[in-house]
Amino acid sequence: MSENADSTQNRHFLLRRLHSLSGIVPIGVFLIVHLVTNSTIAWGGLNSRVDQEGFGWIDRSIATFQHEVSFINNMPLLLLIEITLWSAIGFHSILGVYYAMSGKGNTGAYKYGGNLRYALQRTTGYFGIFFIFYHVATLRWGWTWLIPGDAVWSHEAASSTFAAALRGSPEEFTAVGMVVAVFYFFGVSSLIFHFANGLWSAAITWGITISRPAQKRWGFMCAGIGASLMILAWMSIIGFATLDYDRAVEVENAMHGEQIHLNSEDALDAVTLTGHDDTDG
Amino acid sequence: MSEAEAYSYDADMRKANRKQAVEGRSVIFKIKRCDGPGKPTRWESFKVPIETGANVISSLNWIAANPVTVEGTKTTPVVWDSSCLEEVCGACTMLINGRVRQSCSCLIDEYAPKEGDTISLEPMGKFPVIRDLWVDRQRLFSNLTRVKAWVPIDGTYNMGAGPKESHEQQQMRYALSECMSCGCCLEACPQFTKEEDESKWDSSFVGAHAISQARYFNEHETGKQLKGERMDALSGAGGINDCGNAQNCVKVCPKGIPLTESIGSIGRSATMHAIKQFFQGKK
Amino acid sequence: MADQKRVIVVGGGLAGLAASIRVAEAGMAVDLFSMVPVKRSHSVCAQGGINACNDVARQQGYSEYQHFDETLIGGDFLNDQHPVLEMTNWAPKIIDLLDRMGVPFNRSSEGFRDLRLFGGSLFKRTHFAGATTGQQLLYALDEQTRRFASEGKINMKEFWEFLWPIIEGEGEDARCVGIVAQDMRTMQIQSFRADAVIMATGGCGLVFGKSTNSVICTGGAASRCYQAGAWYGNAEMIQVHPTAIPGADKCRLMSESARGEGGRVWVPAKKGDTRKPADIPDTERYYILEERYPKYGNLVPRDIATREIFDVCVNEGMGINGTNQVYLDLTHMDPEYLTEKLGGILDIYEKFVGEDPRFNPMRIFPAVHYSMGGLWTTYTAGDYQPDAPISGFKPGDSIPVGSEPGQGMKVGAHNNAMTNITGLYAFGEVNFAYHGATRLGANALLSCIFDGLCNGVSVVNYVREGGHTPAAEIDQSVFDAAVKQEQDKHDNLLKSTSNGTGDRKFNPYQIAFELGEEMNSASTVVKTGPGLEKCLGKLEELKDRYSKVELGDGAMWTNQSLSFTRSVGDMIIIGEAIAKAGLLREESRGSHYRTDFPERDDDKFWKASVAKFNASSGKSDVEFVEVKAGLVKLRPRDYGKTESNAGAKKEPVGAS
Ligand SMILES: Cc1cc2nc3c(=O)[nH]c(=O)nc-3n(C[C@H](O)[C@H](O)[C@H](O)COP(=O)(O)OP(=O)(O)OC[C@H]3O[C@@H](n4cnc5c(N)ncnc54)[C@H](O)[C@@H]3O)c2cc1C
Ligand code: SF4
Ligand code: SF4
Ligand code: FES
Repeated sequence: MSENADSTQNRHFLLRRLHSLSGIVPIGVFLIVHLVTNSTIAWGGLNSRVDQEGFGWIDRSIATFQHEVSFINNMPLLLLIEITLWSAIGFHSILGVYYAMSGKGNTGAYKYGGNLRYALQRTTGYFGIFFIFYHVATLRWGWTWLIPGDAVWSHEAASSTFAAALRGSPEEFTAVGMVVAVFYFFGVSSLIFHFANGLWSAAITWGITISRPAQKRWGFMCAGIGASLMILAWMSIIGFATLDYDRAVEVENAMHGEQIHLNSEDALDAVTLTGHDDTDG
Repeated sequence: MSEAEAYSYDADMRKANRKQAVEGRSVIFKIKRCDGPGKPTRWESFKVPIETGANVISSLNWIAANPVTVEGTKTTPVVWDSSCLEEVCGACTMLINGRVRQSCSCLIDEYAPKEGDTISLEPMGKFPVIRDLWVDRQRLFSNLTRVKAWVPIDGTYNMGAGPKESHEQQQMRYALSECMSCGCCLEACPQFTKEEDESKWDSSFVGAHAISQARYFNEHETGKQLKGERMDALSGAGGINDCGNAQNCVKVCPKGIPLTESIGSIGRSATMHAIKQFFQGKK
Repeated sequence: MADQKRVIVVGGGLAGLAASIRVAEAGMAVDLFSMVPVKRSHSVCAQGGINACNDVARQQGYSEYQHFDETLIGGDFLNDQHPVLEMTNWAPKIIDLLDRMGVPFNRSSEGFRDLRLFGGSLFKRTHFAGATTGQQLLYALDEQTRRFASEGKINMKEFWEFLWPIIEGEGEDARCVGIVAQDMRTMQIQSFRADAVIMATGGCGLVFGKSTNSVICTGGAASRCYQAGAWYGNAEMIQVHPTAIPGADKCRLMSESARGEGGRVWVPAKKGDTRKPADIPDTERYYILEERYPKYGNLVPRDIATREIFDVCVNEGMGINGTNQVYLDLTHMDPEYLTEKLGGILDIYEKFVGEDPRFNPMRIFPAVHYSMGGLWTTYTAGDYQPDAPISGFKPGDSIPVGSEPGQGMKVGAHNNAMTNITGLYAFGEVNFAYHGATRLGANALLSCIFDGLCNGVSVVNYVREGGHTPAAEIDQSVFDAAVKQEQDKHDNLLKSTSNGTGDRKFNPYQIAFELGEEMNSASTVVKTGPGLEKCLGKLEELKDRYSKVELGDGAMWTNQSLSFTRSVGDMIIIGEAIAKAGLLREESRGSHYRTDFPERDDDKFWKASVAKFNASSGKSDVEFVEVKAGLVKLRPRDYGKTESNAGAKKEPVGAS
């Protein structure tokens, strides 16, 4: 084998494996964190640390979510993290599309479960890229013209503004808002499927699961992981879609005001958070 | 696993068909024909009387002796590939009702139990057609060369017995050894695509068949010696990493070869191979 | 390339591949021709195993010599003795080699090669890899061949059909210098030069219509050599397996263990009874073997079972629905027990017949399985030259000769396995020398590989030391003439598409069908003088009709019917040699059973039949020549009849 061939071979191998790896770390890990954060809108009521007088379950949820979002937005090296993430997603997407185009689906003739998952993995990949683009463009880059009702998302009023963006207007579902919500639903579900199935398939690629029983067992576990993430995702969407906008605004305001009673550690956060308000606003 | 599962896809349906097969019926064979590379394809139908125990090959034999279409036009006998007629040589692989399998073991009773039922025959789609149902599967054998699917013995002169092997190891290797290079696993694989340009074969996806054979030889005491070279070949373009884990291969394999296990196992070898290369300072 | 000389191997079964490897290894260029990718050769069908003496058996008193002796008795002493001795002496080493090549032979719990019992021996001497030994052996050789091919040492010519051996010189000087072959895809006919040609083209089962053989086993290649002047030995010796599953396209082997486990053979007592088997009450069934042999019933020895089943169907016309089939019935037994004991073989039946034999009686019939006869070959005897042949050999007797190479045949002698035409060799099933009048189970694979490995050396020596003009220097006209002959034949066949009488009589498939029917009924299990005479008459008729054959496909590209039609003509000629030799051999020996001469007649017929093609009459001249014996004396072949010899009758699962 010539040296040249050797190095192309190694490059090929490396790219393939990096592709597989990047889907799990950082993308997969981020997905989990993101979903856990978002779903606080549904279960954040459990969090007593953000509690204050007059707060009910939903208020605590809104507060928790807000707290988490703020926390993320104030992480040191946030930019670095973001850059890593974007490049990972870009890398994974570009290579993924290239790889996917090398195959040719045949679910028409071979309707096996595995084959359907193979095809779905590709479709969800394509769709996922599209979704992520929309998601990021609207909520991060501020391409508000893509958001129905011209809502502007702000990480300081995370719950309320997101709910508005999702519904098409602060209060009611508009028709376009409905479309956006459904789009979110499928987008997030696609990504989760893509992740869980990718997790299953990576174990074979890396040679972690070899025997059929092992592949099967790991398959169940991946299905479990996928299902849990799905539940988190759906909880988030439903949570935001049904959110009481006014109440959310109230809670968020309450959090930024001095009334919020925080324990000492979080107080620090709160201070920094307020400190940032001006510069970011 | 094995055969039972490989055929489980519609085994029940086929068994049910068998029970209601009508004696003395005729069946329509719709056959995709092509006179040679680059020639147009056409469909021709033949009405074939079905005798007891008839299979696709016996029906093709009947057509060869009576090459007249349902429209009454005289045509040429259909060309197809076959040898053992026992589902052990792999020659007679084709698409039957759109799905790949051996035609010699394909019983008409299971596919067309009633008078006038239709069975369609097409050549495999992932290999160039030579004529009618006969395709050129040279690439499949070429892939065996690519992964050096042999034990590098010192010569054929007497040098005593081979390496001792445990019963379990033999059973495991035996399961892999039955692969008859039929190509079903490649035909059904969404990642394995048709490639007529021979110079591209070595960088296009090898498919489960050769991956599994590489594992077969990696598992042999002497065969191991070429493991590094096999893993080089399988780490590159068109190697193990191109598998998309659709696992159709294992579903259609008539010999019940544990292909997905082979893919996992070779995946592990590739991982180890890369690590080893990294630390040995090789590029 | 240092060595300009080339060897052509025709056939990529076990024999052809072993030969190619051996010759290539010696540094000589090999062109390997095969009609199918070699990995799909007929050898892939063999299931049971491969025989060889081994350490365990040896410590129980078995020896290579006894394997030799068994093979002779099995063959009813019609075998050439020296090659058989050499073969059995090599057998253990051949197994070792295959083992090194990575054949997954079954293993004992300690990791040694496992052994099974097979017909014709009291000792476990059969090595096996699951139920697909032939496949595994073929693949091992195929892999080595691929390795040589990738190094450019073997030139693969797959999908090429051998058409004719190119022979230069006349009579004694006749020497094979190449072949004419045709690319089965492009239909191009071409000559290839070679300093030696090895025929390894397997058997001729298709002459009998449906057999257990693959579709390529037409015997066409052997027939072409025969027509070109090579002699054909023991043509009449055709092995018929008693229990095969008759299929619409071929007969598949059914192990005899089905009878061993209690299977009963019967036909409806009333001729032409078309009721379903389950509807026929016990009293209206004719349990053939139980009624004819009350003592042993369904467990009579193989050859008797074969003959009786055949007799009931062919002579008495009592087969199921008038067809040549009888029931092998297991339905009276517990399905679970059957699954446990016979699961594997019952599944095969179900897969190909589509009926569950646990609930429907199986339909079986004897089927042609193997041709002991083949191209006549010679050899140079080895060192072991006893003053008087040994008269009898029992296990544990002292062994008269060692097992080192060269005892039986002189290894490397130029003429080993050479036909009467210099430079034309015959290896494997197409070689007549090893199996006499019947082949022992699991000996065929051995003889194929042995031929390739041992006699491959002879070929190399012949080419290197023979002192003949290199084929590369022979006048082109010799090759052109041969190509023209084949091209003309080919063109005439192509032209016949326009004859267009459309009469079925001239349909090649119809002619082949009638050939098979006739050969099967007259020249297999039970033969009679008048039957064979009639058969020869029928063959004449077929030959005549064949001369007016009408091809159904005039394509100049991948014309399969043309190839088939051409071999039909060749099959008729081999068929005639088989029938004629059978007619002239007025005795019964091994698988050749004549009702009009039911005894073995050593005085007249301890001889090999040698058929020579008479080009002017287009017929076979058959003569009988002394069997090359001298190592072991004739003795009656009594096993199978003496019921005390349990081992000899035992047919383990998968025996074939
Ligand atoms: C069902 C079955 C089970 C058997 N089981 C056993 C067993 O258990 N043990 C045992 O010892 N034996 C067994 N035998 C017998 C044994 O399999 C064969 O005798 C043996 O395989 C023959 O090998 P071969 O190399 O001579 O030829 P084959 O394997 O028949 O190969 C013939 C080769 O010649 C080529 N060829 C033929 N004609 C032409 C032509 N015109 N031009 C170019 N190439 C041509 C073919 O392509 C093929 O490659 C069994 C046989 C059958 C049918
Ligand atoms: S692995 Fe199975 S499907 Fe693939 S070539 Fe081998 S036998 Fe055929
Ligand atoms: S698992 Fe891999 S080899 Fe098998 S069908 Fe899927 S992509 Fe092809
Ligand atoms: S003809 Fe050999 S597998 Fe069908």
